[in-house]
Amino acid sequence: MPPTPDAVAGPDSAHPVIEPGVTAMSVTAHVSDLVLERRTPLWWWVGFGLSLALLGVFAVALGWLFIRGVGIWGIDWPISWGFAIGNYVWWVGMASGGTLISALFFLTRSDWRSATSRIAESMTVFCVACAGIMPVIHLGRWWYFYWLFPYPNTMSLWPQFRSPLHWDFVAILAYVMGSVLFWYVGLIPDLATLRDRARRRWQRLLYGVMAMGWQGSSGHWRQFKMLYLILAALMAPLVCSIHSIVGLDFAGGLTPGWHETQFPPYFVFGAALSGFAVVLMLVMPLRRALDLHGVITPRHVDVLARLMLTASLLLSYCYLMEVFMPFYRGERADIIQVMAQLGGYYAPWYWAKIVLNGVIPQLLWFRRVRRNQPLLFLVALGVVVGMWIERFVIVVGSLHRNHSESSWFIFVPTVWDWATLAGSVGLFLTGFFLLLRFIPMVSMFELRELIHKKTAGDGR
Amino acid sequence: MSRRDADDRGGARSAGLARDVAGRLAGKSGRALWRSLDELAGEPRVLEMLRNEFPGLPDLAEARVGRRRILELMGASFALAGLSGCGGGEAPDEAIPYVVAPPGVVPGVARHFATAVTRGGYADGVIVTHQMGRPVQVEGNPEHPASLGALDPIIQASILDLYDPDRSRTVLKAGRIAGADALVKALSDRAAALAARGGEGLRILSGTVTSPTLAGQIGALRQRFPALQWHRWEADGRDTLRAGAMLAFGRPVDSVLHLDQARVILAVESDILDGAPGHLRYARDFARRRRAAEEGDVGGMSRLYAVESVPTLAGARADHRFALRPHEVEAVVRALAATLGAGPAEWRQGAPGRMATAVDAMARDLAANRGAVLVHAGPAQPAATHALVHAINAALGAPGRTVTYIEPVEAEPVDHGESLDRLAADMIGGRVDTLLVLGCNPVFTAPADLDFAAALAAVPVSVHLGTAVDETAMHCTWHVPEAHEFERWGDARAFDGTVTILQPQVKPLWGGWSPHELLAVLGGETRPDGHAIVRAAWARRFDGSGGGTDEADGRRWADAVRSGVVPDSAAAEAAVSVAPGLAGRLPPASVGPEGGAPTALFRPDPWLRDGRYANLGWLQELPRPFTTLTWDNAVLMAPATAARLGLANEDVVAVTAAMTGAAGSVEAPVWTVPGHAEDCITLPFGFGRKVAGRVGRGVGFDAFRLRTSDHPWELPGVELRRTGKIRRLAVTQHHQMIDSPDLVRHATLDEFRRNPTFAKRPEPEQSLYPAYEYPRNAWAMAINLDSCIGCNACTAACQAENNIAVVGKEEVLRNRQMHWIRIDTWYESGTEGGAAGRGEPEQTLFQPMTCMHCENAPCEVVCPVGATMHDTDGLNVMVYNRCVGTRFCSNNCPYKVRRFNYFNYSEDDSRLSLSWNPDVSVRPRGVMEKCTYCIQRIREARIAADRENRPIRDGEVKTACQQACPAEAIVFGDANDPDSAVSRRQASPLDYGVLTELNTRPRTSYQARLRNPNPEIAEGRDDASHS
Repeated sequence: MPPTPDAVAGPDSAHPVIEPGVTAMSVTAHVSDLVLERRTPLWWWVGFGLSLALLGVFAVALGWLFIRGVGIWGIDWPISWGFAIGNYVWWVGMASGGTLISALFFLTRSDWRSATSRIAESMTVFCVACAGIMPVIHLGRWWYFYWLFPYPNTMSLWPQFRSPLHWDFVAILAYVMGSVLFWYVGLIPDLATLRDRARRRWQRLLYGVMAMGWQGSSGHWRQFKMLYLILAALMAPLVCSIHSIVGLDFAGGLTPGWHETQFPPYFVFGAALSGFAVVLMLVMPLRRALDLHGVITPRHVDVLARLMLTASLLLSYCYLMEVFMPFYRGERADIIQVMAQLGGYYAPWYWAKIVLNGVIPQLLWFRRVRRNQPLLFLVALGVVVGMWIERFVIVVGSLHRNHSESSWFIFVPTVWDWATLAGSVGLFLTGFFLLLRFIPMVSMFELRELIHKKTAGDGR
Repeated sequence: MSRRDADDRGGARSAGLARDVAGRLAGKSGRALWRSLDELAGEPRVLEMLRNEFPGLPDLAEARVGRRRILELMGASFALAGLSGCGGGEAPDEAIPYVVAPPGVVPGVARHFATAVTRGGYADGVIVTHQMGRPVQVEGNPEHPASLGALDPIIQASILDLYDPDRSRTVLKAGRIAGADALVKALSDRAAALAARGGEGLRILSGTVTSPTLAGQIGALRQRFPALQWHRWEADGRDTLRAGAMLAFGRPVDSVLHLDQARVILAVESDILDGAPGHLRYARDFARRRRAAEEGDVGGMSRLYAVESVPTLAGARADHRFALRPHEVEAVVRALAATLGAGPAEWRQGAPGRMATAVDAMARDLAANRGAVLVHAGPAQPAATHALVHAINAALGAPGRTVTYIEPVEAEPVDHGESLDRLAADMIGGRVDTLLVLGCNPVFTAPADLDFAAALAAVPVSVHLGTAVDETAMHCTWHVPEAHEFERWGDARAFDGTVTILQPQVKPLWGGWSPHELLAVLGGETRPDGHAIVRAAWARRFDGSGGGTDEADGRRWADAVRSGVVPDSAAAEAAVSVAPGLAGRLPPASVGPEGGAPTALFRPDPWLRDGRYANLGWLQELPRPFTTLTWDNAVLMAPATAARLGLANEDVVAVTAAMTGAAGSVEAPVWTVPGHAEDCITLPFGFGRKVAGRVGRGVGFDAFRLRTSDHPWELPGVELRRTGKIRRLAVTQHHQMIDSPDLVRHATLDEFRRNPTFAKRPEPEQSLYPAYEYPRNAWAMAINLDSCIGCNACTAACQAENNIAVVGKEEVLRNRQMHWIRIDTWYESGTEGGAAGRGEPEQTLFQPMTCMHCENAPCEVVCPVGATMHDTDGLNVMVYNRCVGTRFCSNNCPYKVRRFNYFNYSEDDSRLSLSWNPDVSVRPRGVMEKCTYCIQRIREARIAADRENRPIRDGEVKTACQQACPAEAIVFGDANDPDSAVSRRQASPLDYGVLTELNTRPRTSYQARLRNPNPEIAEGRDDASHS
């Protein structure tokens, strides 16, 4: 069978990253007007209202949690980790999308990155916020969470440096700081643009303060470029390290189903898959809602879909290994564990994860599917749900069949488990909607640079 | 204004205030509470105190007081404030404030007092540990023949019972508070009227009484009331044993068993290991004999056969266990008797065909070991079986060797069922006008056909003495709060007749009367003194036994009270022999039920017994053997029976007695028990209390409603109708069919002979980390699976010692029970389609699981804050106040022995705060906890040893589980000392560690279980155990 044109032709030839007719001026005007001038659209109010409602659910769930304790969740013995840890891994995994796109593809100088990086990074900031909350509220005594931090104290008590949870604490702290900093630094030139174009006083004040005195001088630009490069160079490995360490949280345990050497890369692949999926889910509606067709083209969507397919293939390999290794090793507890995954109480969840993360994304081999945005959205949604299920299966499914057969039991989530999950989505959406309203969703200066490059004819 | 002026004015003001207070108090002289205050108010030092806000502190303005001095004074005043909180406020006349400590009380140093706990009248000697004058822990009394230092969960829970906040506190008349004076007056008047007509209509109802003093008092009352009748009722009683002895010997006798002398034992649904008087001692004797093989005497191991309908602990430990329908059990006993020459030959045909080989083999084995053979039957077996057991024992030369017959321990033994029947009939017939109910609850426990509540309504004056308001109290005209056994003087006898003098451990917390005092009121005393009554009774007894002088009497009394045992008080041996012609006296052999309707078997719940312990959270939440069920009883049946009836676990069925119209029907959930006889169901009674405290009310279903006086143990032909409802049952172990060959290792004696190290596995490779070094001690524990009888005493003892909270049914349903040591119960399945295919276990195995204190502890490395650490003596310690509650340690523990406080369980627990063990931290919400090897006991021994500048001696530290264990299955000690008991156990060829392949290097090791099957039966086991 001859190769299809899609497989041989480079993406460039099919679709440009900038639609014809888009100029540096038009980009700047359009994007800054979205924030400064345009009336807040109805869809924003509806979305924001729903998000606030979910955030209220979160507040109630946390309030009750703080009053009563983690017993309000379905966690039991031996399944003493439940939704909170699953949610944590899920959120931090999705956060990787932003970092990968803006940092990794910045380093690779991919020109399709510029238009989507801001959306992705903003998503990352609030995903990380949701992720950061989870391990803290998961603690039996969350008010002592800072004991995980190696601060000097009169009792000379240090954290246990051998514990993966301590590594995790450090990793997530570094990641939160890194991604917020990276996002903010990348915003500065655009904030200055907004400051300069703002007509209302509060806008001038707000963006003025946030722009931190950016003048756009060549000195500033030189410093900025260097700082951004360094941050990108830091963030790209950091996104791998954090997911490796999240993987080690599990792999460092003796529990069958967790004690696997493949976990660090497995978690990086999973994170990438969910990250690309969630970026897709945001980019597709936003290019319509914010009228960004000119700068976010089908080319972008296509690239993201291809990345998702790649990550799905990598992850599927891990899924295979996950089943293969216990039999290869021949350890009884591991084999019991795998058999329980495949056919036990949580088997529907297991197979749902396989289908959503491994099977359905194979549709993306077809260009027609990649072009069909509603279908693509559904595939991405499936992946996002599937990745949550994957974490649920890893956490709960592994714990429910452990070495001690007499303690085997199941986990049944309570309404508070679901409320915490839904509430964290509320936190994410609320934050994201706010950013949507007050922050330019496309990096104007990078696009100007890109347009300049393209029109100057020195593009790839 | 000068400083002098200010001082003067201040002084005058406070002096005036003091005068004023004293003056006002002087007017109110009535209340003792105020009296002491009044007296104080006159003393100069008190005036000084009143004058100054900080007594003893120099006036700040004039004195130069250093910071250090201020802190000293503040510290002292805090300490004094604490002390003023001590001492009882309940009895203002006699309370001793601890400002002047009573002699011998040193804060933080425990004191121990002997007494006994009775269960169904029989005493088990205990030692009660006191801290700062309050009892906090119960342990067995090593000098007591029934305890030998061990205890069971019920005895353990007696300390919780003492502090039960739901105990009754006041005398009630028709449900209203009446006061003790009113009772004394009413009872005295009544007694005078009764005495005038010779006591006609006066009845006393009690449970089994072994107390010589109480029996003596009732005897004395008969002089005043010649027509007085004393009835007895014990729902969980031993009538059948008594009747069996009457059949065999023509007179009641008690049996004392010597399991240490028995080579071959046949247990006929026997309760020797789980409830019989003396079961703690029997367990020890049995376990010692079972350890013989491991300790070098391969031939010394005993062999146990069990035939039973309902699984018992003895059955679980049997080398051959046969699950038989009740009539088949009797038939097998008859066939055995016939084979052994103790019955007519035609009985041999009565045994079910599938048992023929087994009966012959058993008979041969029994006959071959003549003189070292013991047959024992449990209280649920009919009198005929008991008589046959006596006959078989006699035929095999058991009396005098493995069984001793003694004069009955119960005072004036009667048939309880008959006694209660007669009482109920008389009550309804109007022949009872005053009834004293002493510490029993017949309205709840009496056979349903008697309708005891209605009968009580016909009695003009009924007085109920009980520690709590229960169903009977609600139907009596008077309720008198009974002093707990730890609050009163008394006496009681053990299974062998040995007397213990009960001494109060604490002044009655809520007031309370002893039965001695109540009877004394009936005898005419108005201010009875329980101590004086018991003391006087014993003065007479000591005299009678040759005491003599007052001094000798005083010494004997003091010794008896101190040691918890009255020397040489065991019952006399009874010279009895089986009267000839037994076969003719026996009722005809029972036949199986007609039709397919199952037979209902009534059995006591192992912990609640007849329901009297229903309000004790420890017992409600303690998993029942086999089912691991908590907070509920269920209709128990074999899996095959459930399948035949189309029932599954947790299906609620309506159980109706088809035969007897009077008895009603109960709705209850189903639970299947492997090893239960087919075609019959067990209804455990003791649950379904309607009037109990906040813990016990409405838990489970009340099986007494189906139990009639004609069918106390077995009710043929019940109907089970599915209601369509589901009732979730809180079990603590959800997987019991064991597939893993490695967790519980076991072998037959032959296999052990051939390969003594069958339990050993190759050692795992060493860790990359350097090994810990233990220059001082290296604590370790050894648990002998061959000794463990699965009685749960260790779990209960651990709960009491370590302040483990009760979490309630909802939390157990979520599998959040907190027990630090659990008894894993395993059914070993046979080949597919064989016994296992029918849900029949090949073998039942118990394995106590608790923290292994791993050398390479997986929990330690994953705790991010270092809340669980290795200590210098090898313990894996848990630092509660460092724990943040990540729960990773629990996930990483391959043994799953860590427990987490999901809620604030200790706070939510209804127990009184003064009942917690002060040596152990009470854990708050959000903290992980687990077995500590009773570190508080190790520390206590360490301090004592350090003061004497010596190492800790072997056996000086006993963990709570070890101390409680009747079978000596658990041994704790220093692995550094090659001669320590634990080192010797761990040197056994049977020693192995669980999950050592994970390189955890556990410090707790197990000794594999051995079975001693009869080679003649072993071949046909699968066919023999069922049809």
